[in-house]
Amino acid sequence: MTDQAGLLPGTLDLLILKAVSLGRLHGYGVLLRIEQISGGALQIQQGALYPALYRLEHQGLISSEWGTSDNNRRAKYYRLTVLGRRRLGEETASWNRLAEAIARSLAATPQEV
Amino acid sequence: MVSGIVARARSMWRGVRQRRGVEADMNDEFRLHVELRAADLVRSGLSPAAAARQAKLEFGSTERYKEDGRRSRGLRRVDDLRMSWLDFKLGFRMLVRYPGLTLVGGLAMAFAIWIGAGAFELATQIIRPSLPLPAGSEIVAIRNWDVAANQPEPHIAHDLATWRETLTSVTELGAYRALERNLIIGNGRGEPVEVAEITASAFRLTRVPPLMGRTLIESDERPGAPPAVVVGYDAWQARFGGDTAVVGKTVRLARSAVTVVGVMPKGFAFPVAQSFWVPLRLDAASYARREGPAISAFARLAPGTSLDEARAELTALGKRASIEFRDTHEHLRPQIMPYAKSIVNISGWRSVGVMSVNLPLLMLVALICGNVALLMFARAATRESEIIVRSALGAGRGRIIMQLFAEALVLGGVAAVVGLAAARSGLAWVMGVVEAEFLHGARLPFWFQSRLSPTTLLYAALLTIIAAAIAGIMPALKVTRGVGARLRQASAGSGGLRFGGVWTVVIVTQVAVTVAFPAVAFFVRRDAVQIEQVDVGFPTSQYLSARLEMDRDPPSAAPADTTRAAFAARFRTTYQELERRIAAEPNVRRIAFADRLPLMYHPHRLIAVDAGGAAPLHPAWPAGYRVSSASVSPSYFDAVDAPILTGRGFLASDHAVDLGEPGEPGARGGVVIVNRSFVNLVLGGRNPIGRRIQYVELEEWDGPRPPSESKAPWYEIVGVVRDLGMAVGSDGPAPSNNPESSKQAAGGDPKVAGIYHPVAPGGVYPAHMGIRVSGDPAAFAPRLRAIATEIDPTLRLYAVTPLSNVTESELQFLNFWFRMLLGVAAIALVLSLAGIYAVMSFTVARRTREIGVRIALGASHRRVATAIFRRPLMQVALGVLAGGVLVVLMTRAIAGELSATEAALVVAYVIAMMGICLVACIVPTRRAFRIEPTEALRAES
Repeated sequence: MTDQAGLLPGTLDLLILKAVSLGRLHGYGVLLRIEQISGGALQIQQGALYPALYRLEHQGLISSEWGTSDNNRRAKYYRLTVLGRRRLGEETASWNRLAEAIARSLAATPQEV
Repeated sequence: MVSGIVARARSMWRGVRQRRGVEADMNDEFRLHVELRAADLVRSGLSPAAAARQAKLEFGSTERYKEDGRRSRGLRRVDDLRMSWLDFKLGFRMLVRYPGLTLVGGLAMAFAIWIGAGAFELATQIIRPSLPLPAGSEIVAIRNWDVAANQPEPHIAHDLATWRETLTSVTELGAYRALERNLIIGNGRGEPVEVAEITASAFRLTRVPPLMGRTLIESDERPGAPPAVVVGYDAWQARFGGDTAVVGKTVRLARSAVTVVGVMPKGFAFPVAQSFWVPLRLDAASYARREGPAISAFARLAPGTSLDEARAELTALGKRASIEFRDTHEHLRPQIMPYAKSIVNISGWRSVGVMSVNLPLLMLVALICGNVALLMFARAATRESEIIVRSALGAGRGRIIMQLFAEALVLGGVAAVVGLAAARSGLAWVMGVVEAEFLHGARLPFWFQSRLSPTTLLYAALLTIIAAAIAGIMPALKVTRGVGARLRQASAGSGGLRFGGVWTVVIVTQVAVTVAFPAVAFFVRRDAVQIEQVDVGFPTSQYLSARLEMDRDPPSAAPADTTRAAFAARFRTTYQELERRIAAEPNVRRIAFADRLPLMYHPHRLIAVDAGGAAPLHPAWPAGYRVSSASVSPSYFDAVDAPILTGRGFLASDHAVDLGEPGEPGARGGVVIVNRSFVNLVLGGRNPIGRRIQYVELEEWDGPRPPSESKAPWYEIVGVVRDLGMAVGSDGPAPSNNPESSKQAAGGDPKVAGIYHPVAPGGVYPAHMGIRVSGDPAAFAPRLRAIATEIDPTLRLYAVTPLSNVTESELQFLNFWFRMLLGVAAIALVLSLAGIYAVMSFTVARRTREIGVRIALGASHRRVATAIFRRPLMQVALGVLAGGVLVVLMTRAIAGELSATEAALVVAYVIAMMGICLVACIVPTRRAFRIEPTEALRAES
């Protein structure tokens, strides 16, 4: 458990957008995809995924449609919208800038000061 | 950005509309998730049961996520705005629990909706009239418009024949001529009625079957057919006593005997406001172009034809006629329009003007509802603990606001029902006043009805919602503000709720209006009293007055001389015979003949006096004096007890025998007699005898004196009489001969100055006669009618009433306003008192503890009262003061300078109003002082 990082607030939306940008997914699929692309390092409170999905759909960043799952059940599939794709780009760039800045800050040594 | 908003709106809409569906979808989605997770766990080695449990555990609370999901869709707010049946049930319970507020607030709102809906209906009926006939919107009027003369050409018999032959876009083309005729039943007296000479097609056009007998049919129109008449419902009731055997009876319309063939149902008065229908015998084709009687045409659009299509056909026809018949039709353009528009046409900016009447009334509604809001706020404040508890139990602010709105809506709904029920009778009342005052007893066109159209009901519903929004949401917003903070203070029951600045404005305005309205009502009443008490110097109640008119068409036996002069001569002879016969009646003492009698409206015209004769013009009338005039017979002044004061009276040789139009007395010059006000005002008291005057048209001159070369005839003044009620209701001295009041005339309205022209008896048309009788003049009316009918059945008598009654319609009008204003004043007063009472009660309830503590610590009642009630009392005082200032301003605007007595009256009135307002404070104040200190301290803090 200790090798799993808690989620920073506000990053769940970004992860969901990334996950569905790789192909349409149902809710559980989103969860698995995030675990998969993070190499199991990020774990999400499972139920909390859904309010986030609804919020993104409400904002028009993802869209949903009903389809059939692998086990032949009625399932709701989410995909990225044009708006979502733009947002994902912006958020990714912004996240990378932040992460880089923090990494650089943390790597600072007394000599550099 | 836009697509984002669209997506939000769509997801919210879906959530609202398919609430159940969304719920089920979420369930499905969550269940699938848990199942898939469990399957994965089974694959990793757990037993199915354990896997299922583990999956559920990992997912967490589905209810919580569902709630979160709903919130992230923005549905929470929508849920708050949903009103449940419970809210309305609660609203009804509130009506019963607070009967005072229900009564006061409900009545006020009912009054607002009554006025608002009534005015809207009236404005709609004026601007967009709709005929209350089957498929009434298909009925059209067709006329020939003369573009050169800019008026309709009524002699359209020839065109009617052409239109009937050619037009395919309209059917049932017909025409009518409106007449007034004496109806004579048996051998009795004639009474004038409204008759339509109308083509039989009108009855097919209107699609109204007769109540009894038959309508007119084509064969009635043939020359030589037995004369038939169809009677309207009201006339049947009034003139025939609702006789069910009336069909087949013979009556007389002026000279002709006609047989009643049918009775029309109630409300039928086509073409305008007629109650008798006789066939229009019009061999249309036999008339030359632009000749024949003046008639009006109507038709129904052919099935499936639009007005525009019909217009196109008619226009094409008109164009052809204007080329083909250049001599007569060059300037004629046929027009087709919705039927009612041909009678009453208000469109364009004038309709905006009519509609804008609704604006101040809307403001009145808002003002009244603002006051109701005050009461609702006081009630909501007493329920503060309930509201705080509800909020603590999870009700959102929106939810609580909606509950209070629902309560106001219930109150408003009940008020709307009451108001709309009263609106019908209100409309009937207003229409009655309009008919009496503006139409002099004539009826309004039949499509004006005291009914409420669906549009008006819709408008009333809108008014109700606006009213409820003002009265419900405004206080709710205020009472729920910072409810969370108050909850944390745990001080339910005595939080920081206060009446703020908005309420101060509302209370002050309301009190000011309350003070001012009765004063306005008083002014109207004073005008009425002035008219009622006017003294013309002779006993008007002993005179029977009547207006005389006569049918224009000569008796069939006489040579068909239809000229004006021939008619004038015939009228003069007939009148003189009437006067001779009446004078022979035993209880008739004197007879006055004139174009108009004292107390009646007199037209006024601008005059000029010969050089050196006139007094300097009063600064209030820089352009000159408009004075009243009348034409009277030589015996007139004798008959009304007005001796000649100076000079001589009229002689038989003075008569200019001239049948002028009303308001155009003798166009030829001659001698005149003036009244005392004329001498004082226009001549400045100089000797009037021998002076000459003339009428001036305003356009002819722009200086203070007319050019001497004016071609208008000059009149020589030969005598002076006292004032005889020529300008009743105008400002000016009461007609009196005492020199004191004569002096005041210089500042009065020049309409009281008057000129009398001589005419022979029967020498003007239409004419009035005043008969002085011993005994009750009204009792002589039937005899007068009988004699008139005996002499000539075409002689019509109108407004046969004691002369003292002629101001009745004006009085009715003033009284209508008086009652209206009194109603508004009463509502304002009750609302005001209730509002003040509510504020005071609220203040006491709020500060119970403080009052108790102060009294316990030995403060005197007076000090406590000043501390507690300073604010409400200031508001009341401010309102009364503002109202008093309004009253003074109005009094000055209407009556000029205030006399000492009037000023004292205003002050006394203001003090009285202050006293009345203070009465509303007494009960809560006494309640405050009865508070036991111990009790107050124990009260929840």
